[in-house]
Amino acid sequence: MRSGMRSTIPEHSPHEMTALDLYQQMLLVRVLEEELQTLCDTGEGSDMHFNRGQEAIAIGVCAALQPTDFTVTHHRMIAHAVAKGVPLYPLVAELLGKADGVNGGMAGEMHLRHPASGFMHSFQLVGTALPVAAGLAWAAKYYQKIDAIVAVFCGDAATSNGQFHEGMNLAAVQKVPLLVICENNGLAGNVRSPVYLPTKTVAERASAYGIRAVTIDGNRVDEVFRVAKEASAYVREESQPFMVECNTTRISRHKQGQGDLRTKEEIADLAKRDPLLYEEKRLGLGLQEKASLLAATRALVQEVVTKVRAAPAPRFPTP
Amino acid sequence: MITATATPFLRNRLIRDAIGRAIYEVMKEDNSVHLFGEGSLVKQHYDAPLIEKDFADRVHTLPISEDGDLNFAVGASLLGVRPVIDVITSDFLYRCMDSIANTAAKLNFVNSPGEKPKTIVIRSEFLTVGPTTGQRPEAIFCHIPGLNVVIPSTPRDAYGLMLTALKTRGVTIFFEDRMIADAETRREDRDTEDGRFLGKAIAFGHAAFRRESSQATLTICTYGLMRQVVEKALDVQEALPAVAFDLIDLRTLYPIDWGTLALSTKKTGKLLIIEPDVQYGGVGAEIAATIAENNPVKVARLGGPRQTIPASSYLRNQSMPTEEEVLRAIRHEIHDPRA
Repeated sequence: MRSGMRSTIPEHSPHEMTALDLYQQMLLVRVLEEELQTLCDTGEGSDMHFNRGQEAIAIGVCAALQPTDFTVTHHRMIAHAVAKGVPLYPLVAELLGKADGVNGGMAGEMHLRHPASGFMHSFQLVGTALPVAAGLAWAAKYYQKIDAIVAVFCGDAATSNGQFHEGMNLAAVQKVPLLVICENNGLAGNVRSPVYLPTKTVAERASAYGIRAVTIDGNRVDEVFRVAKEASAYVREESQPFMVECNTTRISRHKQGQGDLRTKEEIADLAKRDPLLYEEKRLGLGLQEKASLLAATRALVQEVVTKVRAAPAPRFPTP
Repeated sequence: MITATATPFLRNRLIRDAIGRAIYEVMKEDNSVHLFGEGSLVKQHYDAPLIEKDFADRVHTLPISEDGDLNFAVGASLLGVRPVIDVITSDFLYRCMDSIANTAAKLNFVNSPGEKPKTIVIRSEFLTVGPTTGQRPEAIFCHIPGLNVVIPSTPRDAYGLMLTALKTRGVTIFFEDRMIADAETRREDRDTEDGRFLGKAIAFGHAAFRRESSQATLTICTYGLMRQVVEKALDVQEALPAVAFDLIDLRTLYPIDWGTLALSTKKTGKLLIIEPDVQYGGVGAEIAATIAENNPVKVARLGGPRQTIPASSYLRNQSMPTEEEVLRAIRHEIHDPRA
């Protein structure tokens, strides 16, 4: 593993990723969000939704996809965009509302689209991603008649929304190649799951639509990758939807600028399950290696962020 | 004595046939056009049998989940499909307000370099027969950036505007006014004659003069079903010589044809807006304000009460201006003593 270590961030080639690549991708998301957080604190960035503690899911799943596959996701999307290969500079420019953004600064994190890398849409409104992704998968199968599948991400809280259920129903009756990835962090903003989830698992909900589902530890990138690889092969070969419920821990608050009702002790406890810690141990990374990877990632992110901060703001579009 | 009005409008076919013909014509040349909706194939069987016969594989019957269905069609549009989503009666538009206002309407605002804008047509019909049976939500959609709002009043316009909707980059809410009576539709307003097709594409934002006179002293502006009601009232009023009118049929509420409204009101100095919808906060208010702010024009409005549409057929006609009320409003504007 360590012999393949590189001193710089790898170019995106998700289909050839090594375990170390996956770690570096997670680290990139972590460092990028930390950098963005300082900008959110000063008001230069709007109140973003960070993935701290959940990175393994986006990175593991997207690494298991083909480059020609698509993703649709929700508001907590920075990890998904990085994982799907949205180029870093225009991604950050979009997140910070600059003209150089992938959508000219008009979309921000919660309406972002970059079809060139298969990142088809993020949605602010919880649940919307499901039926849109089902329609996208429908069009891939029946209209474009291509081999691509769609991976859609949703939180566990989204599964209490009608759009989730309408989307699952549509995916099942239309028999579309849709990989549903549920990031189960047990939270809806600051609200805990007993308020919205009457079942023990989210995976149980899939059975109502005849959709097969499994539940895994979403904080282990190797497990996420392995299961996503198998699940995506099933979705592609059978041309049927499938759900993977990834249990995870959101360490960051729901969004910047908002309080967190959890105690420091609880958050510290969750941080023990940090997917980066797990992967560092698994890879046997030493202190020095970790430090040099972190330094390289920080240098890259800071270079991008510095460039973005100096970039021009967009103009208000004419109606 | 008030008498119950039957529902013969459910048998009106001319506009529905024209819409079906337009969609069929575009489907022949553009295989990206697909139809989605509840009971969609069954609906084509009755309304557009040619579509059922030639393009059944492009007609997709979806579950009764309007909001999800519409989001589903938006998802398909991301890969190049041009969906026509039929939500049937307009009340269901409220059901899919989220997918229309939050998903579809924002779609073309957020584009990536090199990405083509999407075309989406959302079909729906007015009935005006009960609290939640064919309400008139057109003003709400005019307020939302990213949507075109189309309400044809003749079969020929329905044909021409649907052709445009299917070829225009953008999201169009295409209303079908089921209460426009076939029996009162004039020959020149039809899109076919003796088997010949007469319809042509009509650009959005182009109103039609249904009546026009250089001597006109009053501009009447209306749309949809009300056009027929106003014409009947004018037939009565024009028994009076020396009074001429401009009658403008908007055809598209967004984009709206400000040029034609300005041209006519510059001549007449007076604008009467007659709308079939609730007057309060309606399209007429926007037209009245915009015209009055920019021109020395006296404006007046006549619309429906801000009241839920009763189901009773005895009361149905009171949800929007009647021919008598229209006549009275016109007479009032021209200082006719009979007003």
